[in-house]
Amino acid sequence: MTMTENDRLLLNAYIDGELDPAHALEFERRLADNPAFADERTRIEALRGVMRERLPRETASPALRRRVAALARPQPFATTWRAGWASMAAMAASVAIAFAAGSIATLVAIGPGSREPLPEVLVASHVRALMASQTVDVASSDRHTVKPWFNGKLPQSPRVVDLTAQGFPLVGGRIDVIGLTPVPTLVYRARQHVISLTALPASRRGETTLPPIDGYNIVEWTDGQLTYWAVSDLVASELENFARAFRAGEAEP
Amino acid sequence: MDRGDSRTRFANVVMPHLDDAYSLARWVTGNRADAEDVVQEACLRAFRGIGGFSGGNGRAWVLTIVRNAAYDWLRKNRSPAVIQVHDLEAERVQVPDDATSAGNNPEAALIARADEAKLEAAIASLPAMFRDTLVLRDVQGLDYREIAAITCVPIGTVMSRLARARGRVIVMLGADT
Repeated sequence: MTMTENDRLLLNAYIDGELDPAHALEFERRLADNPAFADERTRIEALRGVMRERLPRETASPALRRRVAALARPQPFATTWRAGWASMAAMAASVAIAFAAGSIATLVAIGPGSREPLPEVLVASHVRALMASQTVDVASSDRHTVKPWFNGKLPQSPRVVDLTAQGFPLVGGRIDVIGLTPVPTLVYRARQHVISLTALPASRRGETTLPPIDGYNIVEWTDGQLTYWAVSDLVASELENFARAFRAGEAEP
Repeated sequence: MDRGDSRTRFANVVMPHLDDAYSLARWVTGNRADAEDVVQEACLRAFRGIGGFSGGNGRAWVLTIVRNAAYDWLRKNRSPAVIQVHDLEAERVQVPDDATSAGNNPEAALIARADEAKLEAAIASLPAMFRDTLVLRDVQGLDYREIAAITCVPIGTVMSRLARARGRVIVMLGADT
């Protein structure tokens, strides 16, 4: 049986994981019955593989990066709220209002210096890591490498959970500085999206999805002595899936 | 929004996607120098328009602007034939006769052996809108919904463009020359 135009679209969508489970199942049955489908699938997968492997990763040149940055040279973080006591007091007032309104405005309280809202600081750390050539200080998909690396540098290391089977492979870890305190951040991947998972001393209970900041979603939960903050441009529902998988996952023995 | 705020937003929303922006611009324009001009122009538009970014997918937002800037560049610097692909939408892709290749799949082996130059040439020969759909999917790893948003077409059009783009590249790479 030859493939119709529609079959071709479905085959491509099936390979790309874009069919919903019911249609994927139905298509798998047809795939099994039609050698022509299987052959075309092999060719498409060969093309996908060769594009992934052979095409060089394009990067913006340092000169271009400088020119674009010059379009809008950002204010360095952490200086914004150091302007003086007046702005600190204003911030404190706005926080009091935010708490009264029942919204979330956790401040960085674990070190002197910055008084920026914690979610903003975490998004800034995540963005800085994305812009560096490496999002991690230690690159390893092996939790038995990542956890000891933290052990040697920080008083408290986070749980490191293997979530490869759930579609969130571990990329590595890095140390972020929040206020003046170094804290561990695990880096996971979900397809092309990077997830930064930062562990801070426990602040409160429960899992919360925060309003996104500049397109980055944030999910936060507390587990024992640590509060975990996941930041990513992954859609909120998928980031919540990640949080659930991490909480359910088996930690390093 | 005051200027300081838009600078911070620009740094958060646009800067992390500069490599993706450049990559897309290079595939659309076909060369590095023009791609840099396109990215710079797109980033200027993004900075001016950052107040209109409503949150959500920052990468898709940036790539939409880059793609628009790249097509403006194409309209200015290339013959209209490069961009007019609506006629080609109806064109059918010639595919190998599946029945004869059942079992051992020689085209797949040829495709897997294609080197960078051959691959680049095959992709570059696609009409612009097929090329950017393929690049957004298989080089940049975006999903269909994101590609539909960036290229301003329904998901069905993304599917047919992608299937045709892959079909053409497969034919070019699978031909034993």
